[in-house]
Amino acid sequence: MLSMFVLWFVVFIGVFMRKGWVIPLTLVTLVWTLLLLRLHMTDPIPLNF
Amino acid sequence: MTMSTRFDDTFTGMNAVRISRVINVLALFALLGVLAGSLHLQFGIGEQPCPLCLVQRSGMIGLAVGPVMNLMWGIRASHYALSILAAVVGSAGSIRQILLHIEPGDPGYGPAILGLHLYTWALVTFVIAIVGCAVMLLWDEPFHVKDQGIRHAKSWFRVVALTAIFWVFANLIIIGVSVIPECGLGMCPDDPQNIDGLGDINGWLAVLSVGVLALAFALAVVVNQRMADLPERADAEA
Repeated sequence: MLSMFVLWFVVFIGVFMRKGWVIPLTLVTLVWTLLLLRLHMTDPIPLNF
Repeated sequence: MTMSTRFDDTFTGMNAVRISRVINVLALFALLGVLAGSLHLQFGIGEQPCPLCLVQRSGMIGLAVGPVMNLMWGIRASHYALSILAAVVGSAGSIRQILLHIEPGDPGYGPAILGLHLYTWALVTFVIAIVGCAVMLLWDEPFHVKDQGIRHAKSWFRVVALTAIFWVFANLIIIGVSVIPECGLGMCPDDPQNIDGLGDINGWLAVLSVGVLALAFALAVVVNQRMADLPERADAEA
């Protein structure tokens, strides 16, 4: 899970240096966060959708 | 001068940009308040963040990226869009955790603050952020000016904005480093062991928090001075 925050760190450095890859990397970081969330969804929740 | 002319003067052009900048700085300070609350629970009380809590913290940091880019690069719709996407990702973590503890009689995870658990407060924060970004997107005026960020703003405002930005950055580093002893480089345990808290908010934890703020402020003053030394542009603000 450290990787999420390492990615955010790089995003912030990119913002400070006005790099063009900031927005794509932000999107990658958000997708990575979602993936880690999915990996931690181990308990089933019985809901009737 | 008619009433509508005065209104137009106040809420158009660079004034619109200035108002947007103030709102973005206030948003960063509000976010810092939320992060400070979670860090106090972690280090002051000793409540270690669960994996879903870390996902929500990641969403909180993502929320800050939009305002930080608005201040550093200029007000853009795409920056608000990033904050909205981060809020959606963070709220996915919050909703997941709320559903895990939704059954009557479930004590929930961690302590409740003002009747709500932290993950519920996180969802409230994410929803407010989405609504806030949507409201800012409804206001076209700041996007008509080719704003270049706080680089050419007034010196005192630049210091305040940079302090907020560096303070968020410092929080990101603290959160990131604190993950290492809890989880190492891999996945975090589902139910982490709590640690002994460092004590009361009035104790040295407060001193440490003020120290981080002082560091952010000092860095802001240095960067502000470097920005002030940059050559003036023709379209620079008065």
